[in-house]
Amino acid sequence: MTRGNILRKLSVLAALLSGLAAAGQGQAAEALDGKALFQARCGMCHQTIGMAVGILSRRPNDPSKGFLEERTDLSATLVRTVVRTGIANMPRMPRPEVSDPELAAIAGYLSKGKP
Amino acid sequence: MKLTLPPGLSAAQLDRALKDFAGVVGQEWVLATDLDRDTYLDHFAVDESGHAPSAAVAPLTAEQVQEVVRLANRHKVPLWPISRGKNFGYGGAAPVLKGSVVLDLSRMKKIEFDAENGVAVVEPGVGFYDLYDYIQQNKLPYWTSVPGNSWGSVLGNALDRGVGYTTYGEHTSKLCGMEVVLPTGELMRTGMGAMTGSPTWNLYRYGFGPSWEQMFVQSNYGVVTKAGVWLMPAPESMLGIDLELENVDDLGWAVDVIAAQRRDGLLQQSPSIGSWLRGAAVLTTRKEWYDKPGALPDDVITAIRQRFGIGWWSISLRLYGYESVNEAQAGVIQKQFEKHTTQPIRITRWKQGEPMNPAPGQAAFAGIPITFPLANAAWHGGRGGHIGYSPVLPANGRAAMEQFRRTYDRYKEFGMDYHGSFAMGERSITNVNQVLFNKDDPEMMGRVEAFFRALVADATEKRYGEYRTHIEYMDLVAASYDFNGHALRRVNEVVKDALDPNGILAPGKSGIWPKRYRSQRA
Repeated sequence: MTRGNILRKLSVLAALLSGLAAAGQGQAAEALDGKALFQARCGMCHQTIGMAVGILSRRPNDPSKGFLEERTDLSATLVRTVVRTGIANMPRMPRPEVSDPELAAIAGYLSKGKP
Repeated sequence: MKLTLPPGLSAAQLDRALKDFAGVVGQEWVLATDLDRDTYLDHFAVDESGHAPSAAVAPLTAEQVQEVVRLANRHKVPLWPISRGKNFGYGGAAPVLKGSVVLDLSRMKKIEFDAENGVAVVEPGVGFYDLYDYIQQNKLPYWTSVPGNSWGSVLGNALDRGVGYTTYGEHTSKLCGMEVVLPTGELMRTGMGAMTGSPTWNLYRYGFGPSWEQMFVQSNYGVVTKAGVWLMPAPESMLGIDLELENVDDLGWAVDVIAAQRRDGLLQQSPSIGSWLRGAAVLTTRKEWYDKPGALPDDVITAIRQRFGIGWWSISLRLYGYESVNEAQAGVIQKQFEKHTTQPIRITRWKQGEPMNPAPGQAAFAGIPITFPLANAAWHGGRGGHIGYSPVLPANGRAAMEQFRRTYDRYKEFGMDYHGSFAMGERSITNVNQVLFNKDDPEMMGRVEAFFRALVADATEKRYGEYRTHIEYMDLVAASYDFNGHALRRVNEVVKDALDPNGILAPGKSGIWPKRYRSQRA
């Protein structure tokens, strides 16, 4: 199946577990797996055939073809802001869906260290 | 968004309630900053501010839901339950009544799976992706049925009578056995679940005596904290029958053919007959085709159809089950279409053991969750939005053609691009009309409200009612159900007042207002 690769399943599970741990124990952001969380919380629109991939890939001169993970121009601040305020076709995501520590980990992953 | 209070409640009273909620769920899960409030607005709405919540509270367990509901009664705070808040086109996470506190159940993500019987008992926070992943991970021989926006909740979608593409696509009819927190905080189970420890809670729908399950669908009578959902056994084969209808009038005979197939059971799935904009609005933007205001003219429609190789209407039928049975059914179906058209009929086949790598447009037929159809909200550019108007018609070609003509004329009159489809039920059609708009175009936005109301008025005149609607229009649609001076609404509100004397649960949902807020009816 398209979404059926084992790697993805394992990382989803890992993300859920780490997310719960973070929620329950106030774990520090750096202990969370940003890549796995990105898949679990954002992958439905920002991976494979997701809604955002389609829309973003229409932009001219963007070699990432709409895949955020391939971009090098994202800052952590931008990611954090867009998730909470929404942008264009992207609705906002409340904290119970993506907690602040989870969002920090996702932002760190996508920004590749840019603040 | 600055604080908006519900009618009759002071900021101090709300504050006291929130402090008490924090005592139940933890301070972290009471969400009351300006930014938090924004995250629960309806992103795709015509006017987001009209349905702004005052705060949100996010319990993790049914016990916490019970406690929060009890406290809401004590403080007279209206709650607006959401599962995952992705009911886009119908209000997202936002409440009907401004200032309500969103009861966000998205943290409740437990899945219990009965693999012998093919039943998942899910909590409201379980999304279609979560359930799909769970099934894949555990190699369970079942398929999910997913809607066009699968970001949302399995349970929430079924509770709003959402639909999918497989034979299990009428999601509300696949619910079996609910656990519900009543508006007073009491916990109950429906059907066989009323017997403590019953092994048939999620297997037999009705229980003994009156069956209350649909009472908790599209209503404000309780918070469903978990429910059984029946899943389709993974079929031996899936067979696709796709065809394009060249002429606009072909809708009539096609509806008659499929209606008969649905009635006699030849076709178990509910196909949707969709117009030419469906694919174009997802894959392209309007300015690639046309840069003038007004509805798209015929030559542009022709250009769109040519590029995507589609008809005025497209039909996709799917058969699931044993290969030999599917083949036999497909033969009959094909002959029935061939009596009316010489258009090529595309047959596709998949069977167990073959790789499942469907094209994006085919994924949902295989129960694979998708979000890409939501891209259509970007059709006009700018901040996109959409609402849907979906009246239920009798399943015959004459009614469908008349409704189409009337609706298409309205789209043109209001300068909007037609985006309609006809979903074929067993005895009825749900005519889904999507209204796509650009929130950054004030001139266009000025037309949307009047357009929507014209669609409702037209359908109501023909005595067609809507199956589901946006929070902004719940009173308008409820008012169209007018037999005997709105007898149904009176009964709904008698029940509401009996179950929810303080009127704390989702005031205004489906046009049902508790006594406390009845003056708020639009």
